[in-house]
Amino acid sequence: MAQAPSRPAIAKVTAPKRPNVVEQDLGGGLHALCVRQAALPLVEFRLAVPLAVPQIKKPASLAVLSESVMAGTEHESRLSLAQAVGGLGGHLGGYVDEDRFVLTGSVLAQNLAPFLDLVADVVSAANYPAAEVRADRGRVADEISITLSLPDVIARQALRRRLFGGHPYATEIPSPAAVRQVSASELRLLHPVLFDEGPAHLVLVGDVQPARATAMAGKALGRWIEGRTAGSRDLPPVRAPRTGPVELVGRPSSVQSNIRLGGSLPSQSSGDWPAASLALGIFGGMFSSRLILNLRERNGYTYSPRSVARHARAGSTLAIVADVATAVVAPALVEIRYELGKLVTAGITDEELELARHHAIGRFSFETATQPGLATALLDLAVNGAGPGYLSSYPKSVIALKKDDVQEAAKRYFAPSGLVTVVIGDPEVVAGSLSSLDDVVVREL
Amino acid sequence: MAPARRTGQRVERSTLPNGLTVLSVPDPTATLVAVAVVYDVGFRTEPEGRTGFAHLFEHMMFQGSANVGKVEHIKLVESAGGLMNGTTFSEVTSYYEALPPSGLELALFLEADRMGSLAITEENLRNQVDVVKEEIRLNVLNRPYGGFPWILLPALAFDSYANSHNGYGDFSHLEHATVQDCNDFYHKYYSPSNAVLTVVGAVDPDQVTALAQRYFGAIKQRRTPKRVPSGEPPLKADRHRTVKDLMAPQPAVAVGYRSPDPVADLDRYLASCVLASLLTDGDGSRLRSRLVHRDQLVTDIGCLIGTFGSDTFYVRDPTLFQVIFHHPGVAPTEAVLRVIDEEVDRLALLGPTSEELRRVIATSTADLWRSLGSVLERARVIGSIEVVHRSGELLFELADRMQEVTGPDVAAAAADLRGQHRAVLEIQPGGS
Repeated sequence: MAQAPSRPAIAKVTAPKRPNVVEQDLGGGLHALCVRQAALPLVEFRLAVPLAVPQIKKPASLAVLSESVMAGTEHESRLSLAQAVGGLGGHLGGYVDEDRFVLTGSVLAQNLAPFLDLVADVVSAANYPAAEVRADRGRVADEISITLSLPDVIARQALRRRLFGGHPYATEIPSPAAVRQVSASELRLLHPVLFDEGPAHLVLVGDVQPARATAMAGKALGRWIEGRTAGSRDLPPVRAPRTGPVELVGRPSSVQSNIRLGGSLPSQSSGDWPAASLALGIFGGMFSSRLILNLRERNGYTYSPRSVARHARAGSTLAIVADVATAVVAPALVEIRYELGKLVTAGITDEELELARHHAIGRFSFETATQPGLATALLDLAVNGAGPGYLSSYPKSVIALKKDDVQEAAKRYFAPSGLVTVVIGDPEVVAGSLSSLDDVVVREL
Repeated sequence: MAPARRTGQRVERSTLPNGLTVLSVPDPTATLVAVAVVYDVGFRTEPEGRTGFAHLFEHMMFQGSANVGKVEHIKLVESAGGLMNGTTFSEVTSYYEALPPSGLELALFLEADRMGSLAITEENLRNQVDVVKEEIRLNVLNRPYGGFPWILLPALAFDSYANSHNGYGDFSHLEHATVQDCNDFYHKYYSPSNAVLTVVGAVDPDQVTALAQRYFGAIKQRRTPKRVPSGEPPLKADRHRTVKDLMAPQPAVAVGYRSPDPVADLDRYLASCVLASLLTDGDGSRLRSRLVHRDQLVTDIGCLIGTFGSDTFYVRDPTLFQVIFHHPGVAPTEAVLRVIDEEVDRLALLGPTSEELRRVIATSTADLWRSLGSVLERARVIGSIEVVHRSGELLFELADRMQEVTGPDVAAAAADLRGQHRAVLEIQPGGS
């Protein structure tokens, strides 16, 4: 009988080829990044404006604006605008997160020029028709009421409050009631503050010649660029969170409990980040990480435990996530703390280091291999300040890391004493067992 | 301007003596290689009294085989700089990984080892039953709109066990699953002749064929299971069911019609896909512009074809044409249904305008390409289409086929919907 061949050796992972990023300052504070990536006949488009503190603190206005920005311009109605974008094989829409407003889209490469004309119309002539804004705010309020009913969102909000305290990043998803108060005139005032002042970042990735595409953007957006004033939009830095008791947010009748631990991480422009990213991978960032092997594969407590980094302009944060059976919430928290303590005090093995190193480079290559993946990565790097050089410097740094570097980073960022803990669950069922483990404060939903 | 046609995505095929179909799709622009093994088994195939078994079994495929320990599969893929996953649909179950080109042989070794000699233990099975129960709590039981509409609508719109049962499974069925059940299922459905191996990306097809023979060639041929058709006749009367959801803040509704046969009647099926886009793709579409923006009766509305929508091109037998909406409850659900009927009637009578048709086809074509950006998705989808249509190449022909859909084809698809009885599943919020 034929014998199956033995396991092939694992090849050393090498740094991916760096994409050729063409950078150009288009004037008026608009900075463009463009990459030719011709796998598909499409172009991914991103345009981001960083928010200033007073805008971050108006989440209701921003939520409606990100919808109503497509509600019509001086030249187009919402319907004709949507039909024009669709006819180009395109998509265009807005979204807002903790510190930026982004117009995002994609179009058939051959239609990039007319697409950019539509973008120019939106950024320089969106006119927020009153009837459209009234309809949009009602709909956004309804959508938010659904969002706020999701356990994962409740958990993220609770963790955000604990992590950011008095920082603008603590600003929450606006209440449906606040959203229903937003007026068209307010959005007409907010639009130029958002779009016409401060830095702005344009990213184009796809089947294009970068010099030509960037010139095309400069021409299409020319009138808008001329009216812009550059400048900075600084945010106060994020500080290490104040630790304290476990916060239990009551969600009666929950059949699962959501455990979240959070802390600080170095930013992508910090020399600490590559080592911290491997510590993150070893702890809970890969499928074969300690957290998943323990909570899922050994104990069956949860389906998708993980640790993730979130990078923003004012700082980066760590979240450890586990949605566990209600009966095992306290034992699961014990295991999470055990794994944190073990990582910090007993260190990592050579095998883990190589595994995490290869996984980090592989995942980075995978995420930047597609047009949308690369466009989003470039935009985040530009807005957060690390810049496109990160695409080549990160894999190089990861390849050069020594075990001590990763152990040091683990000690600095994963010590359980430096992390905050929140749990979402039915207090009648889980408060008792959590209290036998730690101090607990219960909050109403 | 009509979208440019893209050629150069060729599919090279071969079949091993044990029946395994091997597809290679070289892509000179790719920096990675993706491997997918798709088996012709899914929820529709799982035994009665064992709901959720196909998905539970997918978990067991990561729990070890003759030469690979529990979780070692994942560790090895990650060590080689790769990512992996598995997914279960109604018709197919797929296992896939993307790696740097140097990892191709490792991926083939790992897939062959679990196809040839899976090793299931009682301890690992109980562990994964616990994990799957948490997956179901996460995605269904502990959240609003859980299982809406993919579990709830088929249960109303179909009658046979194959089509109507819950693919995630009842807890009692999952808890009673045995190692023997796993071994029987594996023996019956996980044979090489019931699978398709697809390799996409920075690869040479000749090398793929040789490596496939090297790693999979020793796996013994087994009997290919006979497929049981699961198509159902049209509904004889309208059906309506209301499900209370204590966690939901707003009503949500899913309307289910029978689609044309996705395999035997692909042209009519594609006309239905174009109809779905005309109705709800983007703010320029008929139902979004009217119901969301003009009349403001719904918060959101969308159409999908298949069980999930992602599976449109790898389902068999007439499946569901679904219209799904959330509404604030200001107007009754019937008012929204009347508008949907009116707009579908209008399309049935007059057809789309030529400008509208051109626009929707441009969007659909671009969206199709967008979905192919990742080599990993491409490998999984080509393998899945091969299982159902016996033609993975079809993926690259869909854009051209869609451009051949005419106004009268769309009008006929609309008339077909209006001629049917339908299933209306309504989520009623709150405890009242």
